[in-house]
Amino acid sequence: MMKNFSFIILFTLISVFTVAQNKNREADLKAVFIYNFTRYIEWDSSDVSENFIIAVIGSSPVTASLNEIAKSYAANNKRIIVKVFDRPEDIGNCQVLFIPQKLPWSLSSILDRADKGILTVSEQEGYASRGTTFNFVPVNGKLKFEANLKSIASAGLKVSSQLLKLAIIIQ
Amino acid sequence: MQVVVSVLVLGIFFTIFIISDTRSYKQRKVEDTITLAQVIGSNTVSALQFLDEEAARNILMELHKVNPDIFQAGILDKDGNVFVHYSKPGSDSPDVFTLLKNKNSLFRENHLYVKSDILNGNELLGKIFLEADLAELRQLNKSKFESAALLLLLALGFSVFLAMIMQTYISRRLLSLVNTMKEVARTGDYSKQIADDGKDEISVLVQGFDQLMEKIKENLRRKDEFIGIASHELKTPLTSLKGYLELLKQIEDHSLSRKFSEKALNSVSKLEKLIRDLLDVSKIQGGQLELNPIEFDMGNLVDESIASVQLFSNTHIIIREDDLKNTMIVADRQRIDQVLVNLLTNAIKYSPGEKKVIVRSKVAKDELVIQIRDYGTGVSSEEQHLIFDRFYRTRNTSVHISGFGLGLYICRDIITRHGGRIWVQAEEKGSTFSFTLPLHKLAAKQQTLLNLSNEQNFSSR
Repeated sequence: MMKNFSFIILFTLISVFTVAQNKNREADLKAVFIYNFTRYIEWDSSDVSENFIIAVIGSSPVTASLNEIAKSYAANNKRIIVKVFDRPEDIGNCQVLFIPQKLPWSLSSILDRADKGILTVSEQEGYASRGTTFNFVPVNGKLKFEANLKSIASAGLKVSSQLLKLAIIIQ
Repeated sequence: MQVVVSVLVLGIFFTIFIISDTRSYKQRKVEDTITLAQVIGSNTVSALQFLDEEAARNILMELHKVNPDIFQAGILDKDGNVFVHYSKPGSDSPDVFTLLKNKNSLFRENHLYVKSDILNGNELLGKIFLEADLAELRQLNKSKFESAALLLLLALGFSVFLAMIMQTYISRRLLSLVNTMKEVARTGDYSKQIADDGKDEISVLVQGFDQLMEKIKENLRRKDEFIGIASHELKTPLTSLKGYLELLKQIEDHSLSRKFSEKALNSVSKLEKLIRDLLDVSKIQGGQLELNPIEFDMGNLVDESIASVQLFSNTHIIIREDDLKNTMIVADRQRIDQVLVNLLTNAIKYSPGEKKVIVRSKVAKDELVIQIRDYGTGVSSEEQHLIFDRFYRTRNTSVHISGFGLGLYICRDIITRHGGRIWVQAEEKGSTFSFTLPLHKLAAKQQTLLNLSNEQNFSSR
């Protein structure tokens, strides 16, 4: 099963961990986790778009880390494009939408714009129960993540049990 | 010896078998454990990717639950740091990470240590280490050694059984050889040959024995031939010597010369007797001793024989203690006389200083028994069957008796040819020599005459 994933990931990981050496370790780790999420999630196969778009709304140090990863590596055999949406109104076509903490907009205004087929990842306590699919939370000083099964189902995504096994499940 | 060798060979065989089996079992176990490590490794890929040690630990603990032989398991991340480590509670196993620093697998004290890469595609995520207890191998080895020992015992029993059969086969043949040897030593019949159709060392031995017998027989034949020729050649001049001496004795009137020629004649007679014995033996050996059976009165013959022996003895008196009258037998009269004279002479010779020799005869059933009893030195029980052999001289050195040791041999041959028996038995003092002659009814006499002459023809062939 795992062998179906790209075989260049070896180099990916080397660079991923090189990135993690940076000062902003938490941002790097989150970027790596987001990238790793894509390996365990299946998007609608009818999507024939050329690129794999990871978007960030507002400003976040994670954007820089994602750009580092996107430089050399692919997701779902597609080139990764990192996009930044300045406002909720700008949210358009993308596969992953990262919602950083401390945004001036309400969560619902963002989620309303996020269409079906978008993996929404937040980093604010309680956001998962409020509708994002994945949400980073610190547990005992370690980075963990919550997964909202309902949001995943309504987004039309298939998440591997390997990933869910590691997640804190929100019903 | 065979048994020891076969057990040794089997033991070596079993040991090699068990060693190679253990080796292949270990090989298999290494492969199995590495496969297990790979499966566990791929299950921990996501845990490694998301740095979730707890998930990884759970996987390892579950592994131990499912497979209690796994004593220790651990994962290093790709930088070589311990990501997670689990070891069975209470076990004091050495650190698996240091043990396998430069190796992929290792056997130590019945524990197997293996290492395997955790790969996601071609991407190295870390390394998994396992320690497996080989209790199963110990169990397997134990049962294998037990069954090997059992088989070895069976094989031992079987080879002992085989060896016993072989032993019987071999010793039967060896015993037959030994018995033949003993018999040859006892009877002096060197014509014995042993048949052995084997193809081993024993049959070589038997063949060697047969060849030896053949050689001895040939040598004896030559010796007998020589004795025959020699005695014959000696007899001719002796006969003429005797004739001239007798003539000389008759014409000599001077008493001293007459006495000397008498003494010379005596010596010549003794010499003649010796040569005659030799000649007889030679004839017996060559199967040329001829019998001329006639019907005669045995009582008369006994009297005649006693008289002729008594004539030469002034020391002993020969007493006849029976009244054998009109007992007609069919035999070679001259030869039977020879036997009687020989036995009587012996009785006198071997009882120096004694006065009497007793002759008894009786009719028992259909045979005539003649017994000659002396009061001399006697015959020891060991010697009783030897004295009838050729050239046998008594070991009793207290009396020195001259002669070749042929007399009894010739007697035995003559009596046996007549269908009788001859033997000796020890008495309180001295001994009794006995022989029998068959008493044939008148109707059978003609037949006996025929048989005896047939026998001669046969033996002279």
